[in-house]
Amino acid sequence: MYLTAEEERVLRGEEGEARAKALEVIVKVGEALGAERLQPIVHAHVSGVSYNNIGEPGRKFIEDLANMGARFSVPTTVNPIGFDLEAPEAFDLISADREVLEGQRAIVSALHRMGASLTLTCTPYYIPSVRGLRPGQSVAWGESNAVVYANSVLGLRTNREGGPVALMAAIAGRTYYYGMHVPEFRRPRAAYRLEAPGGYRLDYARAAVLGRVLVRLHRGEGPPLLDASVDRETFKELGAAVGAEGDIAMVFVPGLTPEEPPSRFEEVVTIDYRDVEAELESMRLDDVDLVYVGCPHASAEEVEALARELSRLKPKGNRPQLLITTSRDEERRISPEAMAVLREYGAVVLRDTCLIVSKLRREGLRVATYSYKAMFYLSRHGLRVGLESMEELARRLGSEA
Amino acid sequence: MELRGRQLVPGRAAGQAVVMDALSFYGDVDPHTGRTPDGRSVASRVIVARRPRGSTVGSYVIYALKANGAAPAAIVMSRVDPIIVAGCVLAGIPLVDSIPEDQLSKVRDGDLVELDGSGVVRVRRAAP
Repeated sequence: MYLTAEEERVLRGEEGEARAKALEVIVKVGEALGAERLQPIVHAHVSGVSYNNIGEPGRKFIEDLANMGARFSVPTTVNPIGFDLEAPEAFDLISADREVLEGQRAIVSALHRMGASLTLTCTPYYIPSVRGLRPGQSVAWGESNAVVYANSVLGLRTNREGGPVALMAAIAGRTYYYGMHVPEFRRPRAAYRLEAPGGYRLDYARAAVLGRVLVRLHRGEGPPLLDASVDRETFKELGAAVGAEGDIAMVFVPGLTPEEPPSRFEEVVTIDYRDVEAELESMRLDDVDLVYVGCPHASAEEVEALARELSRLKPKGNRPQLLITTSRDEERRISPEAMAVLREYGAVVLRDTCLIVSKLRREGLRVATYSYKAMFYLSRHGLRVGLESMEELARRLGSEA
Repeated sequence: MELRGRQLVPGRAAGQAVVMDALSFYGDVDPHTGRTPDGRSVASRVIVARRPRGSTVGSYVIYALKANGAAPAAIVMSRVDPIIVAGCVLAGIPLVDSIPEDQLSKVRDGDLVELDGSGVVRVRRAAP
């Protein structure tokens, strides 16, 4: 691999042991993938920070770097953890025992010492400073849903970086020049057109199912191009489904993706909306114990929309619990009116938390959500999960006056 | 049977095959025990999988498997992604990719798989 004089200097340890080690890992991964050079980055988002997931080996890995004196050389944000850092007991279904609390606090503190901004969210794309990055800039992001959003909606360039690679890239300020950083790898060759009657609205749940359908159909090289009217908000669920179900880092959506779409395709495939509807229909559950919104973390707008639905109804006496996970920044933007409605329904709002990486107290819990990603992972943790629209979720919680 | 791929992370290894289709280390392999949701163990075996999927936490799971003594001896795939490459680099687990899917699909669970370190993968059917 070609290295600049500056990179050679870092590798020789002239900027400290930690930066040398970080760059060495990036070079090794790049060489394995056949990258010809490195790519400077302007931001990193680190996944794999939950103690429940990475345990003692992961904690030691991150703490060793911090103790070695590692410092992030670009602005760095971090993924959520298994509980609300300021209120670990806020939700009775999530357990965080002493070992987990201690291990998690050690990881968070090590990341903070290295210079991370403790965003603890899987939606870095809602953070104003991240939204200020320009299309075409390279970043190193872990967190599969965020990677798909970054490439597809923000026009940022990132591969699906493994948790430790994003961490090393943040320290080195560079990643390997490969995949999504290379313009020709970002060019779609196959187009998928959603055929649907006028007025067919791709809400969160439908977008999520469409993402899953897309992953199953797309086999070729390059990102798929999706011709469907999906907006930034609902794209979030589509991208999350794509990230969970497959290894695709980008979905090119004309009108949403800032890049110029090609005029010709090797393959054009039609997706019938009835297939999306049939699949969604097959994913419903009858009774549930929990209604879950916020995978990926809910935006303030999303919570406002849910509150509007709920405000038209009256809370049912015998209703499932309502859980919302979001980031601290987004939570602050939720209006007092919406919060009042949520309180009426006894909603639990958790910051910093990803339900997927949480330790849940109950096996066999039945959950309704519009997140295919939540369904994909939670059902692997022994939960029963059904998929439905926001309106349907609201009607599980409230009834017409 | 002899399969030819590309040796991405160096090393020779041998072990019984654990065959999977799409593999996300996070969710599909327990980092403490090396067990898959269907109860098979990947510890000291050779994972043979068609394609990667899912979470970017996968690299840590591979690293944790090594630290917990439950790591696979090697991984052989048709297609890989940077998540798996990074995990194997950090944990020093030999990795071969680019095995054509029609050949990879001939490998059965329990077959003896041997990596010679140059991208060649020898597969022998286990005695019944």
